[in-house]
Amino acid sequence: MATTPSADRDDDPPLFGAVSSSARQLYQLLRCIAFAPKAQVSISEEGLRFSVEEHSIMEGLAFLDKSLFTSYNFAPHSSTAATNDAVSDASTSDDPPVFQISLVALLETLQIFNIADPPGGRPGYPSSFTTGPTAFDNRVLGLTSTCRLSYAQPGAPLCVILEEAGVTTTCELTTYEPAAAAGDIPFARDQLALKIIMRASWLHDAVTELASTSPERLTLTASADPVGFALGATGSLGSAVMDFRSDLPSTVTASSAGFSSLLETFTLAPTYHKPGRKLRNSYKFASIRAASRAMAVATKVSIRADEQGVLSLQFMIEVDGGKVSFVDFRFVPLVDEDAEDEEREQEAGP
Amino acid sequence: MVSLKFTLSPEASVKIHDALLCLTKFSESVSIEARQDKLSLTALNSSKSAYASVSLEASRFFSSYSCVPSQGSTEGRFTCRLYNKALLSVFKGRVADARGRESAIDRCEVSVQERPDEAECRLVVKMVHNQGVTKTYKLTYESVEVMHALFDKNMAQNRWKIHSGCLKEYIEYFGPKTEQLDIYSEDGRVTFMSFTEKISDGKNILKHPLQTAVSASTADFEEFSAQEKLHIVISVKDFKAIVTHADNLRAEISACYSQPTRPLQFSYGGEGMHCEFTLMTAGDYRGTPAPAPSHAVASRSISRAQSTASARTDNHPAPVEMPPPSEAGSRVSTHRNKVPGSTRPPASSNLQRLQSDPEPLFVPLEEEDRRWDPAVFRDEEETLGWDASADNDNAPHHIFRDTAPAARSATDDNTEGLAPTQRVSQIRGLW
Repeated sequence: MATTPSADRDDDPPLFGAVSSSARQLYQLLRCIAFAPKAQVSISEEGLRFSVEEHSIMEGLAFLDKSLFTSYNFAPHSSTAATNDAVSDASTSDDPPVFQISLVALLETLQIFNIADPPGGRPGYPSSFTTGPTAFDNRVLGLTSTCRLSYAQPGAPLCVILEEAGVTTTCELTTYEPAAAAGDIPFARDQLALKIIMRASWLHDAVTELASTSPERLTLTASADPVGFALGATGSLGSAVMDFRSDLPSTVTASSAGFSSLLETFTLAPTYHKPGRKLRNSYKFASIRAASRAMAVATKVSIRADEQGVLSLQFMIEVDGGKVSFVDFRFVPLVDEDAEDEEREQEAGP
Repeated sequence: MVSLKFTLSPEASVKIHDALLCLTKFSESVSIEARQDKLSLTALNSSKSAYASVSLEASRFFSSYSCVPSQGSTEGRFTCRLYNKALLSVFKGRVADARGRESAIDRCEVSVQERPDEAECRLVVKMVHNQGVTKTYKLTYESVEVMHALFDKNMAQNRWKIHSGCLKEYIEYFGPKTEQLDIYSEDGRVTFMSFTEKISDGKNILKHPLQTAVSASTADFEEFSAQEKLHIVISVKDFKAIVTHADNLRAEISACYSQPTRPLQFSYGGEGMHCEFTLMTAGDYRGTPAPAPSHAVASRSISRAQSTASARTDNHPAPVEMPPPSEAGSRVSTHRNKVPGSTRPPASSNLQRLQSDPEPLFVPLEEEDRRWDPAVFRDEEETLGWDASADNDNAPHHIFRDTAPAARSATDDNTEGLAPTQRVSQIRGLW
């Protein structure tokens, strides 16, 4: 029952319909945020926004830009208002449609033809992400595949139709009501305490190393003199600190050609520039680790922390075809009373 | 208290990782002993039947090394024990880096944080990368005395030496489930036979018998001088761990041993690293008509050997006398603890050997040492000897000072009444 968008347009145009030539791209991006079973989807003119959250302390966000799709149709003010009842009338004003969906099921669906690529991915081996297609990849074998997404109206299932080499798979994924308190974790972009851009593989490496101590929390410290930051963790077998230091003086805050290849950008808010002053935040280690899939596949990461300590990790991911997409994570810091005391002592001291 | 500090090159830290990987096959914890001229990593398995030691020469293996006794202390040693898992995860990852990933380390600095003014005692490992990344690990350790197995090379007349690559080829043929390895030579061929004894409990077969024999000409060996038909049995797992590690180093493995039930030592090394593995052995002279039915032939401290030995006695059809099952494993360990650094009187007195060699088989014990010997004779048996004493000045480092003629005569008296060919199962009731 492969219905084309043109066929849909004839009778009842769906609220949303999109065609992608590669289900893999979508899969690659969505897999990065697959740390919780359900994702909240919101559809807009620009693209699809998938957000996943865990206990309101961690949030992952993948934005599937419309440029990832070969055709993208979103018709919020179409005939749905006329044909549907008053309830949907009210909801289809200017708000983009929002619903929840089982991310696990969606990922299963998207990779239904990609059995050659084990989803686990062995650690230490580059995934096919970076090395390109394998010899058994369908693109190499000359098979074409398409992936159609459609969402007819609020309350309707999300329909995923995958076609590959004459085989068509149709999946209808049940959509759920959006979560009641689905607010994003507030992140004050204008009050940044720290901003770092570096290669994501370094972060991935560091988090993997720290995981060996099986820690509870991850501590991020940053200082202006010497320029750099550190990730630390303490577990039962000892503690480990990953130090990222640049030898350049603290005055260098913007990216420049002469800057260390390690940290592309390092900006620390002026309040932390005083000697002995350090930025210090703690996060739940398991949460940060949940983002390690994104760390592994991303090329660059932007690490930002605002004055409250909310951490934002933004990953730049190159998907197949050379396009660049972004996956965001936000983490609420743990209240670290010890650290606050220490800081007060430091402030009180000379 | 000792201040210990050393630096490793990337290649050396990969070697440490390989060594730790090998040691982890023996024990989950690894002991570190640092002296002024060398650092050794040792592991002792839980049944105390296998001891592995990797010693690293201070001047050759390390980029820099300093182990300085603090003021007023004469004992220039630092000893500790820590989880191998923790150390492995520190040195892990660097292996992949050696294959050319950009996160290769520049150097690895290790120091011990053990000062009265510091609340925490930690082994600090610092991995310094070129690009400005420093990974610092502070590992908790346990301050313990390190035990070393003693092995007397002079007593081990059976020796052979072979390139590890050959042995590596052989071990690939060993059945994956085989447990023990019998090594013997016959007519110019050396056979490595891995086997598992059948163990059944009534109708249930707990273990299927399995045998894989690889035989090689003695010409393949660099050097071979071992008694014909001398069967010496060790654990396949230990052997595999040793060979795999030696093969990584492309080293030549030397083995030396005296006779079954006495320790066997494998050694190899190169470039400042020297590895020694002292393993307890079982086995017998299959070719001889009347092996001595000494009641204390097998190493009783090897629990696995114990079970298989008893299985053999009961089930194995081969007309071979096997030692009776152990009856006092725990007793052994208790009196071992009572005499650390002392010696074990020999128990196994192989009649054939005694007849052919009128000279005392063992180095005579010093009178002073013998006073500390336990007054039990009946359960005397071979175990590895231990040296936990700090000063080894008057004795070479690894020495198995075994022997006690008095104990041997007692043993002989004890077995006098038994015909040499009597089934062990028949005589078990006697004691």
